[in-house]
Amino acid sequence: MELSSIVSLFILALSPMVPLLLGSVGEIIIEKAGVVNIGIEGVFLLSALTSAMVSFFTGSLPLAIFVGVITGLGVGAIFAVIGVYLRGDQIVAGVGINLLAYGIGVIALFKTWNVFGASPPVATIPKWVVAGHGVSPMAPISVIIAVLAWFFLFRTNTGLKLRACGEEPRAAEAMGVNVMRMRLLATMLGSSLMGLAGAYLSIDWVGQFTRQITAGRGFIALANVAFSGWNPITAIVGAFIFGFFEALAIYLSISYAQPTLGYVFRTIPYIGTLLVVMIFRSRGRAPAALAKPYIKE
Amino acid sequence: MGMGGSQPAVEMRGITKVYPDGVVALRDVDFTVRKGEVHGLLGENGAGKTTLMRILYGEIEPSRGEIWIFGRRVKFRGPWDAIRQGVYMVYQQFSLVPAFTVLENLILASSSMGRAKLQDVRRKAEKIEREIGLEVPLNARVEELSVGVQQKAEILKALMSEAKILVLDEPTSVLTPIEVRELMKLLSRLREMGITIIFITHKLREAKEITDRITVLRRGRVVKVVETRDVSQEELAKMMVGREITFDITKKAAKAGAPLLAVKDLWVRDDRGLMAVKGVSFELRAREILSIVGVAGNGQRELVEAIVGIRPVEKGEVVFSGESITQMPPSEVYRRGLVYIPDSRAVGLILDFNVTDNSILTRLKQFLSGGRILWSEARRYSSRIVKEFNVLVDSLRTPVRHLSGGNQQRLLVGREVASNPKVIIAAEPTHGLDVAATEYIRSLLLKLRDEGKAVLLVSTDLDEVFQLSDRMAVIYEGQIMATGRPEDFTAEELGLLMGGVKCEAKS
Amino acid sequence: MRSEKLASWRLIEYTTIAVEITGSIALGLVVAGSILALLGYDPARGIFLLVFGGLRNPDYLLSRAAFIAMTALAFSIPLLAGVFNIGGEGQMYLGGLAALLAAVYSGNAAVAILAGGLAGAALGLIIGALKAYRDVNEVVSAIMLNLTLFYVIVYAITAELYDPVAPHESIKVPKGARLGVIRFGGLKLHIIFPLMLALVAVAYYLLYHTKLGYEIRASGFSPKAARYAGIDPKKTSVYSMVIGGFFAGVGGALNVVGFTYYIDNLLTCMYGMGFTGIGVALMGRNNPIGVALASIFFSMLVLGGSRMQMLMRVPKEVADTLSGVIIVALSLPYAYRMLISYIRIRRMVGVGAEQHS
Repeated sequence: MELSSIVSLFILALSPMVPLLLGSVGEIIIEKAGVVNIGIEGVFLLSALTSAMVSFFTGSLPLAIFVGVITGLGVGAIFAVIGVYLRGDQIVAGVGINLLAYGIGVIALFKTWNVFGASPPVATIPKWVVAGHGVSPMAPISVIIAVLAWFFLFRTNTGLKLRACGEEPRAAEAMGVNVMRMRLLATMLGSSLMGLAGAYLSIDWVGQFTRQITAGRGFIALANVAFSGWNPITAIVGAFIFGFFEALAIYLSISYAQPTLGYVFRTIPYIGTLLVVMIFRSRGRAPAALAKPYIKE
Repeated sequence: MGMGGSQPAVEMRGITKVYPDGVVALRDVDFTVRKGEVHGLLGENGAGKTTLMRILYGEIEPSRGEIWIFGRRVKFRGPWDAIRQGVYMVYQQFSLVPAFTVLENLILASSSMGRAKLQDVRRKAEKIEREIGLEVPLNARVEELSVGVQQKAEILKALMSEAKILVLDEPTSVLTPIEVRELMKLLSRLREMGITIIFITHKLREAKEITDRITVLRRGRVVKVVETRDVSQEELAKMMVGREITFDITKKAAKAGAPLLAVKDLWVRDDRGLMAVKGVSFELRAREILSIVGVAGNGQRELVEAIVGIRPVEKGEVVFSGESITQMPPSEVYRRGLVYIPDSRAVGLILDFNVTDNSILTRLKQFLSGGRILWSEARRYSSRIVKEFNVLVDSLRTPVRHLSGGNQQRLLVGREVASNPKVIIAAEPTHGLDVAATEYIRSLLLKLRDEGKAVLLVSTDLDEVFQLSDRMAVIYEGQIMATGRPEDFTAEELGLLMGGVKCEAKS
Repeated sequence: MRSEKLASWRLIEYTTIAVEITGSIALGLVVAGSILALLGYDPARGIFLLVFGGLRNPDYLLSRAAFIAMTALAFSIPLLAGVFNIGGEGQMYLGGLAALLAAVYSGNAAVAILAGGLAGAALGLIIGALKAYRDVNEVVSAIMLNLTLFYVIVYAITAELYDPVAPHESIKVPKGARLGVIRFGGLKLHIIFPLMLALVAVAYYLLYHTKLGYEIRASGFSPKAARYAGIDPKKTSVYSMVIGGFFAGVGGALNVVGFTYYIDNLLTCMYGMGFTGIGVALMGRNNPIGVALASIFFSMLVLGGSRMQMLMRVPKEVADTLSGVIIVALSLPYAYRMLISYIRIRRMVGVGAEQHS
């Protein structure tokens, strides 16, 4: 392959990297507080939907982004109430979010635009042009967000409190931390980042809302959390690697424009993710109190 | 021994606590602590000592009663409220985050009371360490420290929050005798500085050693408040239990028989991969009770799990009735007549299974025909256990979770004993049980020994060990320090051995 | 004091279950009706058709039920061991494909079903072993496999295995390898339904009357106690995944060899059945008998949905979602109770999951 193709691949990888990175960083914040949200996919889908709708009806991009983030925050809040306060099973609730989101997406597509597969195109964020490809400003922004998240978690007192909730909530509670509230806030914060990622999907990258817009990315982000050892900085590298797989798939589909073979190429991100998680054991330790509901006596 | 003339540091009046299910934990308790004294709160398991202090700390709400601190009426809404007002409680399980460093834990604690900058916290901690003579490595992760040092870190945390009243809940239960001595010295120093200390314990010796006054609780009521120097251990024991306790249980003389279990140079790793058992050897004979004595966490559990086959053996051999059972799976070991009663009912029983399911847990093969479970046989065995061991249950299909702790223990012990084993390994068999259940289990073990079986008792309760054992083996950091008959050890020798100091070999 | 507590637990259990079921059905119907009203349809008529419309065609109803019961068991059995198997979708696809190929090459239906089961079991083994021995989160590996297999099989059918006469369908199952219908009186019934009943009985027997079933349930409730008893929770979790995968594969096989007799090139005949199996499993409270009943109920909803489509012109997706709502309503209470007192779903990530159980 020539150099220009490799460069193209690297630049192409930036687009899928953004939702993966934001999703992973959001989930890292949530898991460091001791909660597991596997409904990342559902949050992506719902916020992609709401931002697309806002963009379609108002044409205002800032408003669309805002609504997407708020959607993530809202879903996160509901999930936290179920999983933290009501002590429901977080895994089951997460799966439920995914299924429910899918259903809502379908109904919304029908109700809003009278279609079943894809919405009409919506306004998107203008791109910069780098070496012949469009790069969204969200790419560097997502990296900055990851760095800020790292700083927040590991260099601030609030981050310390948050991590204490994930390691030893009993001790945190004894030291004056309101564990349930911290977990609620962490979940809302993390889900807002996922909401931002969802907004990016529909109004930045793809340009419309489709039923399949998330394509398993929420789970790839989940794999990245463990792969990066619950560290937002290494999550950047991981997100880029996984994004690279997807770029490869797109590149190959374009180069060998055979419709049936396209199906095979589309498996590359999934096989790649599977191989990565098989070969690389998760570095670093999971927060000790992960997914254990905190029961005050 | 300063006694501030005016107000007591702590005054609790008429404290009563009744739980929703009807249990009365505390009944009209009056508790007064003078400023600057070390006050002991003495009682058996379940007497209400911890409950009383948790009420003081704001963790539990009293059904009735009032609390005064330094003459001011208070009602803490929670531990952080109490801490802010100068009361600090050190639990048996420390409130430290194991994955964080000591310094991070201190910052966490400080930041809940206001802003906390790293340098300020570090400076303050070092200052306190100098003044008191505490030595705690600030940059070490808590999980890497020994329990004694962790406790010091917890006390340091208390001092950082300017605690005037320090409550310690059974602080010595996890310490070696040497660490206990250091703690006592530390508490004296703190008393000199004017800090009031409340010391919860069930150990008579310690209460006599360190306290100025003692309040004895029994079944939620105050029995008496005494000056420590005016009372003897025997009198305290009588107050605690309510009757004369015989320090010697009638035990027939030992007449050990043939060796049934031999452990030869056993090496076993713990969950973290470090060596927990380092070359342990001993023999267990029929008609004897051998106790493995030591502070919790010195390899006892790993040793027993390796003998029985739950844990892999790195090196060494285990021989049972002439057959090498090293690395044999537990089901095979149990089948051959070597049974194990673990220290936790959550391990010995499956709480969500019913009584019958649990009865066959350790010997499934016996109830199989081909691949099929013979439920009728299982039910028969299960009702036999329930009858013989007085397990209070209305139906064999009740999930075991619904049984009381004592009944669960009877089921657990009964299941293993009913299979007529040759050797019984019992770990902490009376831990957390009331006096009646404790007596039942202890006499059961003696009866088994008289019937010709062998018992390997693993216990941290020295009274129990002295009552029951024919021979004792002291374990420290995975090695047997010494073996001998209980009469051969003085209390001081025992303490030294448990703390890792070797004496001349006994036998 | 203790004995009153013991006597009443059973009363509480049964009452709770009864209340849960009726409450959930009511809730589900109310929500579904509201959605219908929102979209401008007659809610009463819609709900009636949704629930009872399927009864018109009992053969079809029961055959669909057969299929979904298998994918539900594929989720239930590993769940009892503490493993979350959402790879049922992929296991079912592969099972269907394997059954198709086996039927074509061997001409024998039994071989085909066995092939389907084994294919699903192999996938289950992969997911289970990865989780037990390499700490790979089973949700991630399952989803990756599901998505990969979807595209790979679509490719296989589109590019290689298509029927020249009808290119968006696969080659057909040969006549001799088809599981047909039995007729009695004037009624007909596909054999796969009685087959499903037999398999459900097998599952029940396995779980409650065999050593392996006991070990599976023990490991799921308490890995520590299981290890004390000499059970290896890791091995047990792998076995449970193999069994679960087997059932999912058989489900796919039953569908292909016993009902549709081909696979269409977008897998629409099977799409989503793995996930709905999860809902059905929860509806049936993870018990094989409950699952059988729940799958029949579910089938009623699906067919009722088609009836609604036909008579009221409600679009398919909406009907699907309505069924989904009712299923979610029925599964939520059980799902909610699950962690409170029952199975501990193993930690998803992190080393040494057993230590934290």
